[in-house]
This record gives sequence, structure tokens and C-alpha cells, in this order.
Amino acid sequence: MKVDIALFASLSGFHTEAGDGHTRHYELAPGTTIADVIAMFGLPDQPRIVFVGGRHAEETSELHEGERLAIFPPVAGG
Amino acid sequence: MPTDTTGAPDSGERMIPQEELRRILASKTVAILGCGGLGSNCAAMLVRSGVLKLTLVDFDTVEAGNLNRQMFFTDQVGMIKVDALAITLGRIDPSVNLRVIHECINAENMLGMITGADVIVEAVDSAETKALILHLCGREVPDVPLISASGLAGHASANRIETIRLADSLWVAGDLTSDIRDGHALVASRVMIAAAHQAHAVIRILLGLEGA
Repeated sequence: MKVDIALFASLSGFHTEAGDGHTRHYELAPGTTIADVIAMFGLPDQPRIVFVGGRHAEETSELHEGERLAIFPPVAGG
Repeated sequence: MPTDTTGAPDSGERMIPQEELRRILASKTVAILGCGGLGSNCAAMLVRSGVLKLTLVDFDTVEAGNLNRQMFFTDQVGMIKVDALAITLGRIDPSVNLRVIHECINAENMLGMITGADVIVEAVDSAETKALILHLCGREVPDVPLISASGLAGHASANRIETIRLADSLWVAGDLTSDIRDGHALVASRVMIAAAHQAHAVIRILLGLEGA
């Protein structure tokens, strides 16, 4: 299945597909979860928030054809 | 054509007269989670702009080291931050209506803090607490706009700070990367620019200028 994945800020360097900007197109196996994607990229264990289609999602959620996953790591300071 | 960073062309928006703008803003409630560098300055800008119903949340007290960037004064050192900020906001506009909560934000109490808010401002300093707030708001109140901040430390160009709409109900002000854990200092000008971005995003949302 085809899924768009956006990795923001320090996570953008973990993309494995070439391209510009935050978002890349990926071909994933049916049943792939957000947690599987995080493991596939080897994202660091740090605070992060995930969205699918612009709505909050749990990392245990399965992705579906045509969806857009966004992963954002807030950084400290305020 | 110049556009704002959320994509809406400024020139295509209707002009809202000052009196109508203040009437709209006065009818809304904003919850500010964290009243340090971001939250205290954001609150002051919102009250000056006409937002008169605010919930202020912070667990901390004013320290001398806060005065380099936070909306507090030397005679307020030692005071509870939300109490000191309430006094300052009342001096800006005596008609301000404040709910003041002197507590540390956690998963158990956060939802009660944002009850009735038309917009929520995430203005804490810890990345873990930012993630907690974004996670809980996204899960429990997904249709309430949330304005977060991420990447405001250091002395890099002020022009790197922008407002980005990351999700349907989430806007983030900052450069997304400058982290105090990397050793960056906190500079008043940059912190206050991020706070101003947050305040302005709140105002645009309350005026209905940010779309569904």
C-alpha cells in the first residue's frame, strides 16, 4: 500500500526515500502499524506526537492505503 | 503574493473593524498551559488585544532569573507566577476575567484545566510535557484548536520562527529545532517572538481566519 510519511524537525534525516521537504512516498505492507514505521526508520526514543490524516493517532494504529502519517518531536524551551 | 505561513492569502481576508474585533475576542476563552517565557508574554498580548477570559496554569514561582524573558517584575520575585501574572493582566485591563490554577500539569488534571476553552495554548518548557499536552488534547478534545511552541531557544535569526499548521487542530510556533537541551540560551527577543506568534495564531483562530 502507498502511504505518505512526513517527518518533522530533527526526524527529517531519518527518511529512507529521497526527496525534498518533510514528506516522502512509501510502499508499505498491508497491516503496517505506526509503531512498525517508527521501528523501520529507527527513530530515537524521544517525546513525539503522531497524526494520520491531520488527526491525532495512537502508535498502535494500522496505516491504510493513501493515508498520510506525520511524526513531530517537540523540543524543550519556553 | 505575500502569504502567511498557514497558507491563507492575507489580501483575501475580510477586514474586521477594531470594535468588532475586540467584541469577538472578549467573548472567547483561552487556556494558557504554562506561564513562563511563552505563556506570560502570550497572555499579556492577548489581553491587550481584547481577549478577556483566560485560564492561567503554572506550578512555579517567579525567580530573578526569569526576568530576562518573562512578563514579571523585580517586586514579584518569590510570588506564585499565576498570581503575579493575574495582577499584571489586571493592570493592563481591569475587566479581565481570570481562572488561576497553581498546579503542575499531568495526565490526571490537564483536561479539567482546559474546560470551556475555545483555544488552548501550550506554553510549557519541557519536551515531555509538551508531548503529553499535544497527545491528550489530540485524543480527548480533537476539535479544540491547540497552539504549541517548539524551537525558540538560542540567538539564530528571528525570521526562522514561524507558525505552521501541523494538523487539523494543531498550530506550532517556532523553528521546530532549537532545543535548550542542546545548550542554547533563552533570549527575550526570540522567546517573545514565538509568544507573539502564538498570540497571533490564537487571535486569527478566534476571528475565524484560519479555516476549518
